[in-house]
Amino acid sequence: MKNKLVELACIIDDDDIYINLIKRIIETKKLCENLIVFKNGKQSLDYFEALLQNLDYDKIPDIILIDLNMPIMDGWEFIEQFTKIKNRFNKAITLYVVSSSINPVDIDRAKSLNSIKDYLVKPVKIDQLETIFNASA
Amino acid sequence: MLCLGHKRINIHLSSTMVQVKVPPIPIDSNIGYVELKNNDIYFSKALLSHIGKSAKNKQITLDYFINTLIHKDDSNQFRNNYYSYIKNNLPFRQSMLILCKKGKYKEFVCTTNQNNINLNNTTSKFLFFNKRKLKTNKRINKHKFYYKETAEMTSAGSWYVDFVKRRSFWDQQARRILEYPEDYKPSINNAALYYPKEEFQRARRLFYKCSIGKPFDTEIKMLTKNNREFWVRAKGKPVFNDQKEIIGIRGVFQDIDVTKSKELSLQRTSNIIASQNKRLFNFAYIVSHNLRSHTSNLSLIVELMNAAKSNEEKLELMSSIEDITSSLNDTIEHLNEVVTIQTSANENRSPVTFSESLEHVKTSIGQIISKHRTTILSDFSEVDAIDYIPAYLESILLNLITNAIKYKHPQRDPIIKIGSYVENSRTVLEITDNGIGIDLEKFGGKLFGMYNTFHYNKDAVGIGLFITKNQVEALNGHIDVFSEVEKFTTFKITF
Repeated sequence: MKNKLVELACIIDDDDIYINLIKRIIETKKLCENLIVFKNGKQSLDYFEALLQNLDYDKIPDIILIDLNMPIMDGWEFIEQFTKIKNRFNKAITLYVVSSSINPVDIDRAKSLNSIKDYLVKPVKIDQLETIFNASA
Repeated sequence: MLCLGHKRINIHLSSTMVQVKVPPIPIDSNIGYVELKNNDIYFSKALLSHIGKSAKNKQITLDYFINTLIHKDDSNQFRNNYYSYIKNNLPFRQSMLILCKKGKYKEFVCTTNQNNINLNNTTSKFLFFNKRKLKTNKRINKHKFYYKETAEMTSAGSWYVDFVKRRSFWDQQARRILEYPEDYKPSINNAALYYPKEEFQRARRLFYKCSIGKPFDTEIKMLTKNNREFWVRAKGKPVFNDQKEIIGIRGVFQDIDVTKSKELSLQRTSNIIASQNKRLFNFAYIVSHNLRSHTSNLSLIVELMNAAKSNEEKLELMSSIEDITSSLNDTIEHLNEVVTIQTSANENRSPVTFSESLEHVKTSIGQIISKHRTTILSDFSEVDAIDYIPAYLESILLNLITNAIKYKHPQRDPIIKIGSYVENSRTVLEITDNGIGIDLEKFGGKLFGMYNTFHYNKDAVGIGLFITKNQVEALNGHIDVFSEVEKFTTFKITF
């Protein structure tokens, strides 16, 4: 199992502290080769739209962890926009929502969307992260 | 007592007989009247003969007259009129049914003054009873009875404005509801007396439109003679003659003060509940998203610390804890602000001048203003002060000014125009900047939401406008925003 790693993971979150902690877990547990981070939905959507112009498979993440509550473009809007274009990447991209919201409205809404694999409530556990990264490896 | 040689009739209210010397009174013996003097009540012969009693009949006391001879539908009103006349000298005019010969009721009009009689020389008080000349037949009487009952039970008065005779008519119930005396003659020229100031223009418009053919059905506040405001439902319709010309307006109004007041207070309560509920939602939102994100980071750190292999690693993690606690503090402060809006909204308002508040704000953020070369132009000449919570006004100005500076246009120095004026009899404060503006179609719905930021701006927190909106609304005002991207943003606060 350890010989195969997730090539590229993507985190979309505006919380610097959270990002640093996740980075640390990923590094110490060696969960993936590379990691890209965006501070809000708009930044990441711009990235994916640019990728569509020039498909470079190394730059397409296998897994996306997205927060819901972010400035400029929140998680919901990103998910909606991303769902429209994700089939054009010719690669399975697994989308997880990772949010501190325990509001049942948010959770139900996320679970009702096919494009979302699962809803993780912060704080995420180290072994939780291991499980989802291994599933995509 | 002597009445021009006619026989004297004494009817005693008290058991003691009071013999009074009375000056001659020039009253026609054919007129039915009652003289009231020193607690005694004297019936004229004409009146006695109408009711089939003789002068010797001494059982006619006031109680007997009111309770037995006057029809029960009229007796209460008569009793009230009678005592206000005796005690307070309030004249009145009332029509009533009185039991006459052979057990039949006949209609009389009772008045306190008779123009053709000079009563200046007497110390007595008189009530005159004139028989209704027009005999209303039974059928009409019956209808009238039902109409009266209906009007009374529904507290509905009716009125008519006659354009031809240039006169206005109110029915008995209308006068009673508006607390005018029985003989009051309404006039369209006095219409301003019948409505509170703020409603009069609307009433006038409704009447005018009705006079050119448009009926109305509305709820409006009216004013009684004693200056009591109350709600009525008013309906009016034009009256046409055979030539299809409008010759008047007829209408009814119903006293709905009790239900309307309940409705209004229910509406107020519901508004309060709605806004408190909104704040509660915001509270829950902050707790769910923001407090939780800090605590979840803390939990994550603890987990990492437990997994850490070296002390250096642990020490590194310690520094993150510092960051988290400071963000946690900020969030709790925000939570506190949201709660404070709720509690201080109950504080007393006091007169605040706009220019003074603005000066305070300018002093407190003088550095920011000069650092960004900000020009603030203000004009409070139209309205210079309002009754408000001073701290709120300053907070509102502070938030909107710093907002304008924060989102200034990169190519120009910020110019902020602040002005006040009156619109629909409410004070309005307007703040316009020349900043980057905001796409309202995209973000309008979220602009005043908590922790919603829309620009790539490092110090955007998303709390200022949220607090401002809540402060304004806590004091029953509202805030609107107009903007054009790259050009300007205007915040309009209606107090």
